[in-house]
Amino acid sequence: MTAIELRGVTKEFPGVTAVRDLDLTVEEGEVYGFLGPNGAGKSTTIDMVLDLVRPTEGTVTVLGRDATAESVEIRERTGVLPDGFSVYERLSGRKHVEFAIESKEVDVEPEPVLERVGLLGDADRKAGGYSKGMRQRLALAMALVGEPDLLILDEPSSGLDPAGVKDMREIVAAEADRGTTVFFSSHVLAQVEAVCDRVGILRAGELVAEDSIEGLRDAVGDGETLEVAVDDATDAVVDAVRAVDGVSRVDRDGDTLLVSCDPGVKTRVIAAAEDAGAVVDDFHTEEASLEDLFLAYTEGEETPTRRADAATEEVDR
Amino acid sequence: MSLLAVANKDFQDTVRSRGMALLVALFSLLVAVFAYVVRPQGQADQFATELLLSAFVGPVLVTGLVPLVGVVVGYNAVSGERESGSLKLLLSLPHSRADVVFGKVLGRGAAMALATFAGFLLPALVLLVIPVTFNAGSFLGYTVFAAALGVVFVAISVGCSAAVATRQRALIAGIGVYALFVLLWGLFTGRVIGAFSGPIEALPVSMAQIRTFLDAANPTSGIELLGNAFLGDQLFSGDSVNQQVSAVAMLVFWTLAPPLAGLLKFDRDDL
Repeated sequence: MTAIELRGVTKEFPGVTAVRDLDLTVEEGEVYGFLGPNGAGKSTTIDMVLDLVRPTEGTVTVLGRDATAESVEIRERTGVLPDGFSVYERLSGRKHVEFAIESKEVDVEPEPVLERVGLLGDADRKAGGYSKGMRQRLALAMALVGEPDLLILDEPSSGLDPAGVKDMREIVAAEADRGTTVFFSSHVLAQVEAVCDRVGILRAGELVAEDSIEGLRDAVGDGETLEVAVDDATDAVVDAVRAVDGVSRVDRDGDTLLVSCDPGVKTRVIAAAEDAGAVVDDFHTEEASLEDLFLAYTEGEETPTRRADAATEEVDR
Repeated sequence: MSLLAVANKDFQDTVRSRGMALLVALFSLLVAVFAYVVRPQGQADQFATELLLSAFVGPVLVTGLVPLVGVVVGYNAVSGERESGSLKLLLSLPHSRADVVFGKVLGRGAAMALATFAGFLLPALVLLVIPVTFNAGSFLGYTVFAAALGVVFVAISVGCSAAVATRQRALIAGIGVYALFVLLWGLFTGRVIGAFSGPIEALPVSMAQIRTFLDAANPTSGIELLGNAFLGDQLFSGDSVNQQVSAVAMLVFWTLAPPLAGLLKFDRDDL
């Protein structure tokens, strides 16, 4: 069964189309990162999944149920950390979690989940006095009540300090291990990269890319880039390196060779360069930057461009 | 039950507000002042409980102030949460929008009733301990009617609150309802009757019947009617029994219909 399925979903607000003909599938048990710049339509999509907003066209199915007709049943099995929410200022953190327990009709104590998000010490303070990060932790605690099958986190790291981001990541990982489907949105790629099985990139209401992290990485630049600094990058050296099996592309930047290759052939590349008479001063590998890809997708015109900067001389003509 | 969870949350949230304490203090102060005004003079030790209620507490506090307070307690119930964003937290939990609206009627209605009881009964405790004959039964019974009227106005303004997107509009709607029922009802219904006197005459009802109906239709005058009947030992008996029954029916109507109408709008909205 799929956890979330959107088919041909369009949402129009007066004067603006927030989401356009969106197809999206999140499989049960996977961690799906929903990426896009602010205003891309991420929150509108999540709002439609939660029935806060109804689609103009198309169907939204969550946990096998219709998002509008059976929203309460869906939310009984879903934990949500909304974006741009506020807490009940006069109620304590503990009261908030008790309210979630009462609402989900589960028989658990509030302490363990408060402990898990690191709020147990402040549980009896009024939530109005909480910092942004503590409010975020509180909402996460409410979302985790009752061991949901699906966790929807809308910009979960906003307002969190680095320690909070790390805690959040660990909780997401632990939930995923438990078998929970996690769907979370972010405009920061680094947060998604570490925990997601698959990512979708939304721009201006349309899904412009959807793949695993590895898949996206392949799209950036065939695996890894090996940078080899030699004493003199002659044509002979370049040709020798290019002849190595598993090398897809060689660019020359002064006396540095930029080699796109399979991970396993690095030593052979070095050896080939040396056999061709070059002295290797230094070499290091660089993973394809997903950030570049993300920016290309979200800010660029159409398809992402290869990361080839202007100083690189194109050797392979 | 989901509705009760919302009601419980909302009750707890409301009774913790500073406005709630102010309200109890205001009610207590006014009841105490009125009680002082009607205190027994000279040798008499008979405290005029009925006079206190029907001449002072009734017209000023109950039919004047309680509806206004009900509006204030209810107007931001849904619109306030919508504006602040806590509605997102509320609807992330498995509540239907109907649970939200009616849970709030229940929770805020209970808070309103609590404030009325606390505000009315605190000064009455003094009357119980000092050596005067004080009709505690009448006073307590009358407080129930006051609380009921408060709940009706809470329900009306929660309905307004669910129907509009902002706190400000909900407040305007609530004040409008207050103005209609408390300040302008006589004028308004007089105009309506005047304007439709022709068609009304064609109906098989008398002008007096129409006026009686309009009296019972207004929750404020409905409660006044019931409260005075209670004080005169005529509750659901005597000449006005039919009118009393229709007043009760109208009170139930005003408690349920506005939240329901608000819900119809709220249920269709994008939040």
